[in-house]
Amino acid sequence: MQSDFDTSDCYTIEGKLALPYTYFAGRVGSRFITTLRDQHKIMGVRCAACDTVFVPPRQTCERCLGDLTDSWCEVGSRGRVVNFTVVRYPDRHLPRPVPFVLAMILLEGADTPIVHLLEGIPPEQVAVDMAVEAVFAETTTNTIRDIDHFKPCDA
Amino acid sequence: MTTYFGVDVADVIETMPSRFRKEAAAGIAGSFGYDLGEAGRWRLAVRDGDAALAPAEDLDDCLAVVATDPQTFVGIQLGKIDATEAMALQKLTVAGDRGAFGSITRLFQKYLPPGEEALPETELVVLKQTISVDQTFATGPVMGRFLKGLKEKKILAMRCPVCGRLQSPPREICAVCRVRNTEWVEIGPKGEMRMLEYVYYASPDPLTGETRETPYGAIGVLLDGCRDEEVFWHLLNPAQLDRVQMGSVIDGQVRHGSRLRPVWAENRTGSIDDIQYFELDD
Repeated sequence: MQSDFDTSDCYTIEGKLALPYTYFAGRVGSRFITTLRDQHKIMGVRCAACDTVFVPPRQTCERCLGDLTDSWCEVGSRGRVVNFTVVRYPDRHLPRPVPFVLAMILLEGADTPIVHLLEGIPPEQVAVDMAVEAVFAETTTNTIRDIDHFKPCDA
Repeated sequence: MTTYFGVDVADVIETMPSRFRKEAAAGIAGSFGYDLGEAGRWRLAVRDGDAALAPAEDLDDCLAVVATDPQTFVGIQLGKIDATEAMALQKLTVAGDRGAFGSITRLFQKYLPPGEEALPETELVVLKQTISVDQTFATGPVMGRFLKGLKEKKILAMRCPVCGRLQSPPREICAVCRVRNTEWVEIGPKGEMRMLEYVYYASPDPLTGETRETPYGAIGVLLDGCRDEEVFWHLLNPAQLDRVQMGSVIDGQVRHGSRLRPVWAENRTGSIDDIQYFELDD
């Protein structure tokens, strides 16, 4: 490669960046995870003012600014794909070898979609509005990955 | 029945004696007044670890009297209103012995509406992880020449052609004069300590991913040939943290800091770690 300056002093140094990291799920997030883990139930919160069911749950309604901490409701473990993308760029932090599908899934009873892995179907056959259901993980990680993935199901 | 936050104010008041944590009240004796506006005036008599509540017209004999409106009172009992904030807003005042009143408020269990049982403590999810990211740093021509100098036990600086200041590690541009630096100068390698920072919280080293032992000393050394603010930042021999002296110039009064010399690494690779640290030059 041509350069317009003297590159004889240019070289690279290898580094290893370590980021110690503590993630707190929050009170609402914790209950969402523990219910998922212990009871295989997907919980959301309903805002009484605007009647919106948020999944994953959140502490505050983004529209009404009301406190949703104790407004729990269960939603279905089935839903529909509202949008999706195919991940084709491999990287160490990714949960699956590429290609795999990340889908936005609107669960039964929810008003906001959840993002998760969609498996059991070739990426090119995934379509918006297809019915899917949650497959719960056999071992817990105390994360959203306690749902292992979603798979297609009968409508 | 008057309710606030969906709760009967009378019930909040009447359950006060039963919510009183007797075991924690040993040694406290005296009366405390509650002036709750339209919810009435009440006297809480505490004696021998027991508490009795009765309506009272006259609260003059109380150690402390709290005055607030029923809504604020219920809100605080339910944890919906912050007591300190209510005081700041003048919605709640305490007359008399504030300290004694403060200790008495901590003796009550939280109010729970009839039929509601205390919820079990929610398990809180906390995840700890160390993310490791491989990095490749490009030196560029200027930093590359500086690091190659370290390999040969030379500390190089660049001089600004306009203001004459030295920068090390060098920069291509003098950011003050906005001109390209051109002249290379060798400085040090010995110098005088100007600045010492005791570091108690270490971030991981971006080259190794390891976290240094603390405390360690990050130092600014005024290397020979430099002046004023032209200090060079590196590490101090951790064993000498308490043996070094900082130098300063205050109102023209010069106080010299400890003389330091670099300790060079055995195997030098052209990296900032080619200097292990600086140590006292006795």
